[in-house]
Formats: sequence, structure tokens, C-alpha cells
Amino acid sequence: MIEVKDLVKNYGNFAAVDHVTFSVPEGTILGLLGPNGAGKTTTMRVLTTSLAMTSGKVTVGGYDVVDQPHDVRKRIGYLPEVPPIYGDMDVISYLKFVADIKDIAPDKKTNRIGEVLEMLDLENMSRRLIGHLSLGYRQRVGLAQALLHDPDVLILDEPTRGLDPKQILEIRKLIKSLKGKKTIILSTHILPEVSSTCDDVVIIDQGKVVAADSVENLSQRLAGGKTLEMEVKGPSADIEKALGKVEGVVTIKLAGKELRGVSRFELTTDGSTETREAIFQCVVKNKWVLYQINPLGMSLEDVFLKLTTKETTG
Amino acid sequence: MNANKVWAIARKDIGHYFASPLGYVVLAVFFLVTGFFFALIVEQTRQASMVPVFQNTVIIFLFITPMITMRLWSEEEKSGTAELLITSPLTLWEIVLGKYLAVCAFFGVMLSSTVVYLVIMMLAGNPDMGPVIGNYVGYGLAAMSFFAIGLFASTLSENQIVSAVITFGILLMLWVIGAAGGSAQGVFGELMKYVSIFQHLEDFFKGVIDLSHVFYFVSIIFISLFFSVKVLESKRN
Ligand SMILES: Nc1ncnc2c1ncn2[C@@H]1O[C@H](COP(=O)(O)OP(=O)(O)OP(=O)(O)O)[C@@H](O)[C@H]1O
Ligand SMILES: [Mg+2]
Repeated sequence: MIEVKDLVKNYGNFAAVDHVTFSVPEGTILGLLGPNGAGKTTTMRVLTTSLAMTSGKVTVGGYDVVDQPHDVRKRIGYLPEVPPIYGDMDVISYLKFVADIKDIAPDKKTNRIGEVLEMLDLENMSRRLIGHLSLGYRQRVGLAQALLHDPDVLILDEPTRGLDPKQILEIRKLIKSLKGKKTIILSTHILPEVSSTCDDVVIIDQGKVVAADSVENLSQRLAGGKTLEMEVKGPSADIEKALGKVEGVVTIKLAGKELRGVSRFELTTDGSTETREAIFQCVVKNKWVLYQINPLGMSLEDVFLKLTTKETTG
Repeated sequence: MNANKVWAIARKDIGHYFASPLGYVVLAVFFLVTGFFFALIVEQTRQASMVPVFQNTVIIFLFITPMITMRLWSEEEKSGTAELLITSPLTLWEIVLGKYLAVCAFFGVMLSSTVVYLVIMMLAGNPDMGPVIGNYVGYGLAAMSFFAIGLFASTLSENQIVSAVITFGILLMLWVIGAAGGSAQGVFGELMKYVSIFQHLEDFFKGVIDLSHVFYFVSIIFISLFFSVKVLESKRN
């Protein structure tokens, strides 16, 4: 449904988006994840035709954003980083205006506005001036605007920004309820948002894609049981030395001494099962006692931090 | 070009005028100034005539124009609503024309107040309608070309004050360039005189509607709107 190929956007010499490629199949939700300044908003602005790209090819619903921008615009709902609202209009007049410019048939207007107000829990605010609404309500008006014309594609730049925890959950539920019906890209810094709502995730940092996969795969592939935690009873120095020599063990570190001579170690390994067996054999051969051995899983948060945090040492 | 969408934009922007004190202040100033001149002229000449009212008040558009055009695009850009307009199924011409229509409609409200003077005149005497129509047309065309220039300036900056200053600068140039053209020689002097607004207004104030003068104002309007569209187009890069 959405294809982004080799997208580059330069500001002068600075590449805000640098050869980004990803695709979003119809009916799925993609999370665009990245730290501040990663290029999420820039990517979305290209997708929504509000910004011209430097090079690359982007199609939305089969329409090219450069050659057929009008067709793209008809099919997208876009929530920009700053909700595009007019402070001196009330919510209803604003949505009526949006309905007019988004080709909603006049006879369907009132109904549809009612539906969207209900969806976003805005009924009580419909006659209030938008400028008098709190931040979270403004964000919801922005979302109402994006959903109003029932577009096939939704592009949501930090949709839950400024919302309270209860609203965050409700908006996520709303987004999830659109799964299968709409193709959605949302950007966020909040990891639980991706794991709870998205099918796929693209992590970008400094304009480049550093990882792209399904949410499940990504946390597994990168965590992959490579880090092990184990507790062994025995002389800790000898254990550390012996295990360090086992083939497949990359590093070993004493992580803490427990009571009664049990020490805790953290090992990084090549991740294969043979290595784990060899570790076990080594412990048995030396007549130490193995209390436990666990793969240390990585949460999406660890993956994110690992991928987007530059090593400052070494 | 979809007239409904142009109108939707226009309606929204007309709403902005009446949602802020600025709109009312501008209207009040206009009513006061035109009313003052009308009263003064009736008092002094004992003749009810619209012509001096128009002649003497056209200059206030030098000041009013920046005030009512500065926010047209600058504010959209500043508040982030430009993204909504740009990514909606609207053409840039629809956006620009809608905004232009809004400011012209606001002007229509201003101008409607002068109908009062017209009625007074007709009650008091039997005015020659020819010059009155010529005056309305010239006055209207001049104001509307100012607005187009103001709209264009508004597309240049997201800062309303900057837009206002640019508008005022351009209008002032067009206002005084005729005098400068008088002292310049040859083709250049002629050109400056041609560009000057005054020269094209005179005939209207005499009650003559000359198509070449109409063409001058319509050209200013078209060129300004055209460049507004071009500026918006270029912003995507
Ligand atoms: N108009 C511009 N001119 C120059 N640089 C820009 C412009 N717009 C964005 N940038 C730069 O492009 C980079 C990417 O910005 P972008 O807004 O896409 O980041 P983001 O991922 O959305 O960040 P955030 O999470 O803070 O919203 C930033 O370094 C930013 O400074
Ligand atoms: Mg952003």
C-alpha cells in the first residue's frame, strides 16, 4: 500500500533522511521509531506530499507522491506533529471546514462529524473554541481531522502526544481497531506504543534505517539468547577463567557474589545451543554446581537503545 | 477548480476577521474616516458628492491592506495549519483564490457602509450616477489590487509583521513611483509613470471607465495571485 524506496531528503548538505526504504502492506500498522531528529517527521511530510524529496520513489496506494500528489491527498489522513487547528473556531465548525476541503458529500457531513466526535470522545467539547481546549483535547481534534473523511491510509505523527494515560490507552485501542481496515504509519518515541499497536517497526536514527522487521522478530532476532546469566557454586575466579576458555563464549563477567559461594555471571556468546552445552559440560567436569542458566532477553526498549545509541568508548 | 472548496476556504478566512478585534477595528476606522469626509464635504460645498470621499480615502488602503492581508498565509504557516491545507485535496489556486475572496468579501462589508452616503445623496438631490459608478469601480479595483499584493507578501513569510511591512513597502512604491517617473527621462520614466497607481485612478475619479486602466489593475491582481501560487509551490522544496 505504501512503498518508500531509497528516500533521500537533504537540507543543504545535511541529510535529514538518508536512503530510507520500507513498505507497508495494506491493512497493517507500521511504527516509525527513532530518537529526536531521526527524520520521522521529515519522512512523513514527504509521504503526505507536503515536502518534496531530494531523490527516491514513494508511492501511496499505488500513486506516486511526486507525479500524482492529488490522488495521494485524497486517500490519506494526516496528523502532523503540531495538530493543524484554528484556535478561533469551535470544534464543529472546524470539522465542517475540514469536511468541505476533503470532498465529503454534504449530506454525509453531519453524520460523519458526529461519528468522529464520538470516536474521540469529543461530544462535550463540540461547541468549544479550539483555542480554549487543553493540549490533549487539541490533539484529539487533530486526530478527528485525520479520520474524518475515512481515508484508506493514515499517517499519524506522534498520535498520543499530550494525552493522559487513560486517553493514550483509548487512542491505541482506536488505532488497533483500525487494523485490517486501514494502512497506518505512526511515529513515536514510546516503545510500548509500537509493541502494543504495530505489526511492523522501522527504527531510524540520523536519517538511516537501522532496523526494520516485524515487532516480534525484531525483539527476538536482536536479543537472540546471546546474553546468558548463570549462577554457579564454586570458586569464582576459577569458574570465570574456565568458562572464558569455552568455545563460543565471547565475554564473561562476574556479576555478583551470592551467599554460600554461589556466584552470578553474565556471558555473551555466539548464541548457539552447542555453546550452552559446552558451558554446562565445563561446569560438570569441574564438579561445580550449576544453579541456573538463563538467556537474558532484550526488550524492544533495549533494542532501540542499542541501535540508536552510539558507543562513545572503544 | 472547485468553487465549493474555494468558498470553504473563503468562509473560514472571513470567520477569522470577525473572530478577532482587528476586523472590527478596521471596519470602525473605515466608517469613521469615510463618514468624516462625507460630512465635511457636504458641509463645505453644500453638495452631496461621493467623488471627494473616494479620492480622499483611497489612501487609507495603504494602511488597511497590510492589516487585513498579513495573516492570510503567514498565520497558516506559523500555526501549522498550512500542512492541513497543503495535504488536503485542494489545488494551490483554490487556496489562494479562497483567501483572496475572503479579503475581498471583507472589503465588501466595508464598502457597503458607503451605500448610506449614496442614499443620503439620492434623497437630497439627483446625482449623476455615471461618476458614482466610475468611482466605485476604480476604488474597488485599486483596493482589490492592493489586497492581491498583500496576499502575495503574506506567502513570503511566516511572520505577520514581516508580511505587513513588505506589503506596505510595495504599495508605497506604487504610490510614489509616479512622482519619481515625472523627473526621470525616456522609456524608464514612462514605465515608472505607467506602473504608478495614481495615473490609473484619475480617470475613474472623473467618472470614466477606461478599459486600459481596468486592465492595469486586473493585471496586478492576476500577477500577484499567480506569484502567490508559485511561492507556495516552491515551499515544498
Ligand atoms: N526545514 C528544515 N531545515 C533544516 N533542517 C531541518 C528542517 N526540518 C527538519 N530539519 C532537520 O532534519 C532532521 C530530522 O528532523 P525530523 O523533524 O524529521 O525529526 P523527527 O524524527 O521527527 O524528530 P522528533 O522525534 O524530535 O519529532 C533534524 O535534524 C532537523 O533538525
Ligand atoms: Mg517529529
